[in-house]
Amino acid sequence: MRIIIIGGGIAAVYLANNLKKQNAHLEIILISEEKYHPYDRIHLCRLVDASSTTDGLSLHLDPTVKLELNQKIDKIDKKNRRIFSNTRMFSYDKLIIATGSLPVPLFNIEGISNATVFRSADDSRQIKEGIRNRNIVIVGSGPIGLELLETLNGMRDVSNITLLLRGNHLYTKELSIDSIRTIEECYKKEGKLTISYEDEIIDKIVKNSEIISLKTKKLQIEKPFLIFATGIKPNIESFRDTLACKKGILTNLYMQTEDENIYAVGECAEVEEFRFVAGHVKECTAQADAAISHILQTNIKKFELAISIDMLKVGEFDLVEVSSAFFTDSYEKVLISSKKESRIDEYFLNDNRLTRFIGVNSNVDIGYIETLIQSENEVDINYLYQNRLIGERGRLICSCEHVYHQDLVDIVTSSGISSFLELADFSEAGRVCGRCKLMVEDVIKKSQELIDKNIPRKSTEDIKRDKEIAKVQKRIDKFNTLNPRNKLTTDNLDSAMKSLDIAKHEINSWISMVTADMKLHPNFEQLVEDAVYNLNKVPIIWLELSDCSGNSEAFIKSTNPAIEELIFDYISLDYHELLMSASGDQSESILENIIKNEKGMYILIVEGAIPLAMDGKYLRIGPKGETGIELLQKCAKDAALVLAVGSCALDGGIVAAAPNPTGAVGVSQALNRDDIINLPGCPTNPTNIVGTLLSYLMFEELPALDKLNRPLWAYEGRVHDNCERRGHYELGEFVHEWGDSGAKKGYCLFEMGCKGPYANVNCSTIKFNSGTSWPVQAGHGCMGCTEVGFVDKFANERKYEEEKK
Amino acid sequence: MSTQKIVIDPITRIEGHLRAEVEVDADGVVQEAYVSGQLFRGIEIILKNRDPRDAGLLAGRICGVCTNSHFRAAVTSVEDAYSLELPNSAQIIRDLMAMALFIQDHVVHFYHLHSLDFVDITSALNADPKSTSKEAHKYHKKPFRNSHSHYESVLEKLSNFVKAGKLGPFSNGYWGHSEYKLTPEQNLVIISHYLEALKFQTTISKAVAIFGGKTPHPQSIVVGGVTSVADMLNPQRLNDYLFIIKNAKEFIDRAYLPDAKLLSIAYRDDIKSGVGRANGNFLSVGGYAFDDKELFCNGVVYNHDFENIADFEEYKITEEIDRAWYKGDSLDNEIEYTDFNEDGSLKTAKNDDKYSWIKAPRYAGKVMETGPLARVIISYKKENILIKSFVDEFLKDTDLELMDLSTTVGRDAARAIETGYICEYIFKLVSRLIQNIKYYDTETWAKYDFDSLKKRAKGRAFLEVPRGTLSHFIKIQDAKIENFSVIAPTTWNATPRNFDGVRGAYEEALLGLKIEDTSKPLEVLRVLHSFDPCLACAVHIIDAKGKNLGKYKI
Ligand SMILES: Cc1cc2nc3c(=O)[nH]c(=O)nc-3n(C[C@H](O)[C@H](O)[C@H](O)COP(=O)(O)OP(=O)(O)OC[C@H]3O[C@@H](n4cnc5c(N)ncnc54)[C@H](O)[C@@H]3O)c2cc1C
Ligand code: SF4
Ligand code: SF4
Repeated sequence: MRIIIIGGGIAAVYLANNLKKQNAHLEIILISEEKYHPYDRIHLCRLVDASSTTDGLSLHLDPTVKLELNQKIDKIDKKNRRIFSNTRMFSYDKLIIATGSLPVPLFNIEGISNATVFRSADDSRQIKEGIRNRNIVIVGSGPIGLELLETLNGMRDVSNITLLLRGNHLYTKELSIDSIRTIEECYKKEGKLTISYEDEIIDKIVKNSEIISLKTKKLQIEKPFLIFATGIKPNIESFRDTLACKKGILTNLYMQTEDENIYAVGECAEVEEFRFVAGHVKECTAQADAAISHILQTNIKKFELAISIDMLKVGEFDLVEVSSAFFTDSYEKVLISSKKESRIDEYFLNDNRLTRFIGVNSNVDIGYIETLIQSENEVDINYLYQNRLIGERGRLICSCEHVYHQDLVDIVTSSGISSFLELADFSEAGRVCGRCKLMVEDVIKKSQELIDKNIPRKSTEDIKRDKEIAKVQKRIDKFNTLNPRNKLTTDNLDSAMKSLDIAKHEINSWISMVTADMKLHPNFEQLVEDAVYNLNKVPIIWLELSDCSGNSEAFIKSTNPAIEELIFDYISLDYHELLMSASGDQSESILENIIKNEKGMYILIVEGAIPLAMDGKYLRIGPKGETGIELLQKCAKDAALVLAVGSCALDGGIVAAAPNPTGAVGVSQALNRDDIINLPGCPTNPTNIVGTLLSYLMFEELPALDKLNRPLWAYEGRVHDNCERRGHYELGEFVHEWGDSGAKKGYCLFEMGCKGPYANVNCSTIKFNSGTSWPVQAGHGCMGCTEVGFVDKFANERKYEEEKK
Repeated sequence: MSTQKIVIDPITRIEGHLRAEVEVDADGVVQEAYVSGQLFRGIEIILKNRDPRDAGLLAGRICGVCTNSHFRAAVTSVEDAYSLELPNSAQIIRDLMAMALFIQDHVVHFYHLHSLDFVDITSALNADPKSTSKEAHKYHKKPFRNSHSHYESVLEKLSNFVKAGKLGPFSNGYWGHSEYKLTPEQNLVIISHYLEALKFQTTISKAVAIFGGKTPHPQSIVVGGVTSVADMLNPQRLNDYLFIIKNAKEFIDRAYLPDAKLLSIAYRDDIKSGVGRANGNFLSVGGYAFDDKELFCNGVVYNHDFENIADFEEYKITEEIDRAWYKGDSLDNEIEYTDFNEDGSLKTAKNDDKYSWIKAPRYAGKVMETGPLARVIISYKKENILIKSFVDEFLKDTDLELMDLSTTVGRDAARAIETGYICEYIFKLVSRLIQNIKYYDTETWAKYDFDSLKKRAKGRAFLEVPRGTLSHFIKIQDAKIENFSVIAPTTWNATPRNFDGVRGAYEEALLGLKIEDTSKPLEVLRVLHSFDPCLACAVHIIDAKGKNLGKYKI
């Protein structure tokens, strides 16, 4: 599929990178009218004072995305799915418009050398080069105008700035007079600034494409350099004729325009239902996520309005604004201020609910404000007062991650971090919208001298691991104390194992294997072992639904049967139809007991699809004849964790293959939940089941998952990448016929329809049946059984590319 | 007389979703029985309109326990349709995989799925290790792992479980039930083998994986041959395979067969009174060549008349749907589901009430039993030299007659006997393969060009697989599968009734069974387990009412 993205801004780049991340096979072309590699607009000020270059602001773009610069798209041919610039034509399967906004000056400044807007790298360059020996005039005092003002204010060769304002407020008209004065004072400290309120340009003299002088209601300014920060509007002129637009290009909640193949994302779009146009990076990326999910039809999510956070830092003061979409003009305001600290907290209430907060030099925890707004509860004013000074963490540095100055200093000094790069292991600060990255770098630099050189410095890897290990230890202790019903101790288990003649070293080597399979550092072995002993504390229900018992079979035959049998069958696998000795009513009562007594504690493993047609009656289980879906819902409700094992549990597998006679679906869809961990495979390699159970026990959070909710440690690598026949693939040595001379020599099976290149799982490294073999070793090739819809897509011996045609 | 209905669902320790409903009189004697398959997936519908070469990979997924069997049968039916002649070595590789599966299935069935119906774990705790090892000597000269220290450690392990208050799969069994007849020592012997068998089955499954790539769901059979040629040519692989089978044989000879004898002797009364006997119609299609003979003979027995064994003739197979949840008699049956009664039991009151997803295959209009018992009886009576000595020895050691095998415990005995001679057969297969390779007969694929094959064809495959007779039928139209149909062993054995009201083998075997404690229907489980049910395999549609499979069927 070819996806074209128009735009070279943050939305465009985010779209391209994340589409690629989800599906590396997509062909993506990014077209920008600018001549620069996409860059970070937020930090444009750094170009003005030359503290960075356009390269320095450049955004990371997946290298497989095709980039077309200097191409302004001005026409769409919806019918034939083509777009045009004045020199080129591009055809697309899906088109995403991400053309952002256009700044709106108060009069036409085209061709005028000393007047500009402030939106692009070129604008910044123009400002940088043009302000020398000029009287700078900034029109407008929104966040962008103020930010630019702060930058210019700090530049040595700037001596004179006039801020021209139509109203009598700074930042926003809702701001209290106290706040305005505080801000004003800060700006004026440098002695360069004149603020002219209730003023506007009424005349100008232009000569040789240059404004010689400006006349305002109140002032006369000679040799000006004029900068308009007066507002923006969606940049949609090229598309007005072809797509329905109001303020922006109209979209639904998936950012899809009236044409099903065209999406609009970012500041150029208007979400029709909310009449919403984005103005922040976070909103743009949220829209991008919705669009991506809709285009790829996976984990589809709508765009939702969220709370936005703005920050402005000027010299000694900072301003934080948190606001929700429910803020309206009919607000009431609560002001808590302290002259001494020049601190002002402004709370805006609509119907007694907090809808907006603006803090000047505030040190209220922004995370806390966010929850207050989100909760939509009525607020108690006393409560606000009492909580006004909860933080001693200094200034807020990263508004996305809520990291304060002191937090950052602590991290840096305790872990001996010396660069922004190293910080990544400890905190996401500076990495979300990127707005505060430079500030974060500053703090790191300034904190270096606080690092105690005498403390033996562990490598960041070590520190990370120590932290992880401490976390795991805590979790294991927790399970030890939980001990819901089970009276078995580690001693008993030990002797039990002895009686099965399992030498300690056998256990150890098994543990090493699982540890390695889970891609953990060897230091974790002890913990894996503890986790193994503690698995007996977690009851497991294994449900077989519309299945073939293949995964149960595989599980019984797992790597080291003696150990795994012992661990699972004898100790924690409490309900499993194939294995347990209780039948009928008795087995029912086991099930009921677990669900009742181990509420929120047990793990549910589901094997098989869930037939939904005919009210689910294609499958009935138990003395009362419950349907498969009823049973699943009953068991899943109070499970601590649900694992969908095998391909049928992922998406219905073979049972749901065309024409899906019983209306079968996978577990996640049947339960309508997206927190199900999927372990697909046909059958699933038992090591991957054991490993996932262990990691659940060891780590507080679930293992990292991919887009199909498969644990990355097992499903990250491609079969093809670790295949023993890969060398032959590279050399072009292929089997061409079953049993031919290449087959006898173990050549690559690609020509025989091996789907290894399309399958993500660790088969090629862990193999099956205690490492005895796997389908490629057996000369057949992989059939991609871990992927969605594998039966219809991959279960054959023909090349995928040819088959698709 | 007032009767009581007992519903058992789920029946555990079997593959799949099986429900049994029995009606007992005041004395606890079964007067009526219904068994029902409770899951429908419709794999044959899914197979339609696909490339015939894909049938194997998909049909293999019919069952994860008998996976290799369906994989192979589907591919064989396609080969039959195209009249492809399989190279000799490919045939042997397929047989090697199949035979390893027989061994694995039978051992797992006996110990893990069935033995706890006879063995009381709690009673074993009272065993004396010394007398236990003496007891084991009664059934073999050199019993498997027979030291008392070994039995002591098993005892310790068991008591640890009990102490731990967590019996795992052993919990909620019918322990202490009066129908448990073994002495503590006998119980301990079998339990100790139960634990050994856990390891055993993992090892034996490696034998399947050596040539299959993995199991369950092997992936090395293709239309025209096998793909694991590199494994075949690697002497180490063959060696590994043989080594596993040799070890397996030790276990089978010194543990499995002796345990089957132990049970047969201990439950002699049950055997002699015919507990679990079905109607005495047996079916085997035979197969697995060696020299100019076959491992299993084909044949049909009616009504326990062992002296007149008829040849198997495929046109005599029909399928009915009167009492199964289908309707119509076109090839595409429609579903006609009838819900449960208010009390959660099946609707079975009326003669035409439908109550199962399993259809009713009949041979010459009769209900059949298929499986190891059928194979042993038919092969033995047809003077199959490979197996004769095994049967004779078993019957002699247990002082039983052939007829006695047609019972619950006898079915298990037949299964054990069969496992014994399969090991012998494997050694013959391997030496033939080695001969082939020695003389450069290393072909593993019958070359064909798919595009020039017939666009319309019909094929079928009849295979004996661990649980009995398996047949796949395929009809190809425009080089696509137009119809696919399966009759699996459990379809035969777990069949519902038909319009004539004749009970299926399971149902018939349950009739007259005396249940000591209706709240603990151990006896019912015993009978059903002795057939080794596999429900995922059993449920199939497609064929129509009373249509003759051999001629018209698909
Ligand atoms: C100085 C400054 C500071 C900011 N600070 C913050 C902040 O702190 N926090 C925050 O959340 N947000 C901030 N913003 C806002 C944020 O930058 C925008 O919300 C975001 O950049 C919008 O992204 P976008 O991709 O929709 O549009 P843009 O970034 O405007 O990108 C649009 C791109 O499309 C290209 N394009 C337009 N039309 C065409 C065409 N016809 N053909 C080809 N290409 C075309 C443009 O050249 C441009 O490259 C700031 C903005 C500025 C200017
Ligand atoms: S055999 Fe398959 S997985 Fe291996 S290298 Fe070839 S194409 Fe890739
Ligand atoms: S190699 Fe491919 S077909 Fe085989 S199990 Fe792994 S993912 Fe499935």
